[in-house]
Amino acid sequence: MAWKKACSVNDVAVDTLRKFDVGGVGVLVANLGDEFKAYPPACPHMEEPLEQSGVCSGGLLTCTKHLWQWDMRTGEQRAPAEKPLLMYDVRLDGDDVMVNVEHELEYEYEEEDDDDFEW
Amino acid sequence: MPARNAQQWSRPPSGLKPGEYVDSRIYSDNDIFEEELQKIWKKTWIPVCHESELAKPYDFRTMTIAREPIIVVRGSDNRVRAFLNVCPHRGNMIERRPSGSFAEGTPSGNPKRMTCMFHAWQFDMKGNCVFISRQEEGYQDRLCPKDVGLRRLRCEVYFGGFVWVCLDDKVDKTVAEWAAGCLDCLQPSLDAEPLEVFHYHKAIIPCNYKLWHDTNCEFYHDYLHYHNRITGFNDAYFARKNSGFDNGHINVGSFEVQYDKYEGFESRANVSFPSLPPNHWYMIDMFPGANFNLRGSALRCDLMTPLAPDKVLIEFRGLGLKSDSPETRRARVEHHNTIWGPFGRNLHEDLLAVSGQGAAMDSRAEHRHILHGRHENETIHDENGMRHFYDEWGRWMDRSPGNPDQRYREGHNQPGVSA
Repeated sequence: MAWKKACSVNDVAVDTLRKFDVGGVGVLVANLGDEFKAYPPACPHMEEPLEQSGVCSGGLLTCTKHLWQWDMRTGEQRAPAEKPLLMYDVRLDGDDVMVNVEHELEYEYEEEDDDDFEW
Repeated sequence: MPARNAQQWSRPPSGLKPGEYVDSRIYSDNDIFEEELQKIWKKTWIPVCHESELAKPYDFRTMTIAREPIIVVRGSDNRVRAFLNVCPHRGNMIERRPSGSFAEGTPSGNPKRMTCMFHAWQFDMKGNCVFISRQEEGYQDRLCPKDVGLRRLRCEVYFGGFVWVCLDDKVDKTVAEWAAGCLDCLQPSLDAEPLEVFHYHKAIIPCNYKLWHDTNCEFYHDYLHYHNRITGFNDAYFARKNSGFDNGHINVGSFEVQYDKYEGFESRANVSFPSLPPNHWYMIDMFPGANFNLRGSALRCDLMTPLAPDKVLIEFRGLGLKSDSPETRRARVEHHNTIWGPFGRNLHEDLLAVSGQGAAMDSRAEHRHILHGRHENETIHDENGMRHFYDEWGRWMDRSPGNPDQRYREGHNQPGVSA
């Protein structure tokens, strides 16, 4: 296990997201009031930085670019989102928000091949 | 011989043959200009920029060829591709900035995609459409992203990293084949190691693009250049050959320039390009309007975008080696500027001459003959370079340069008396 400190509980206000550098890995920390969650920083749709485009309300995260939505506690998608949010394990150590970043979590963004392009 | 009356003026000098003069309408007539864009500029390989200007993945540059908006982008696979800069939805220009990066998102777009700001359609660096807003609601199953990719354009990175684009999908030559050997003299110097643009400026010059190309194709206008007259001439200078290559290109042969004999100049021997004999100078003029000019330590490149019969956008670039130390780079920049900078030896004088020609060539002006009839053993004061260019021009246009009302073949076979 690779538990590392991401931030202090006071660094992230309730219903907001902030991105932290955790040992070279960008991690997005969310404060749901009674719980902290941690996600990769990019939207699984089009790599938008969710720290800027994401809005948290009532336990739902919405990316304001194309309105993809997720349940922040489970990462489950809500329509029109087509992919779930990936999540890092989080625990509190006193005032420290600890995140387990054994492997960097990344979404796969498909890019079609064009090797056989026909002129 | 006294001055001439109108009838005499309308005829070319009797001793010159067709091919040794052109009709001034080829520089000023709007219909001919529009035809050139269609028949030449949309059919041939055009160098548009240098790969060092889009050094990182997701970097881009925009430009036009024959008024078509073009975008050149570097993909995550480092490959440079070119597309029409037009959204397949409602025809909006996708990217308006002259250059930049798609690595960061834009207000209506996302990182790593091109976004049309109009309705937020998105495209990846390979031209695939990757997002259509409210696709199913509006198009159901009648249209999907694969139906609306960007128009991809033929694109090659060739000759020291220059980016070449051709609007004709069916172009039957590679850039190397199109160059037909005219680049060979500089290829070892330019391909030895990566190059980098260190100088860029652009200007809209009030003249026809071919007039600028003409000045690059002959050195008879040494008489225009004060500094050339007082310091530059010697036998080796005049002995250089002007050689023609297929497809309308020419080379000016090299010789060793005695830079240390110029007042205030220094030898360029220790910073000359790789494989280039020290202080040597080569110049290549490519049809229909590109110029590569290597003076020992600094490469200059003029790329032209014709805008109107009497208007040409010229982009001037200076290049050195990417591996340059700061001292070497400073030397190259200084060497570049002392020839081609605002207080340099040549460039401003060339601009004076072509804008003077442009001022006398209004589209409604009486047409006249522009003489390209000097024969000096195909050396630099010969005008064979221009004759070679205009013969190629005639073939692409199917017009005789000496009388554009005649077809190319007719102009070749008849004595050149224009109406």
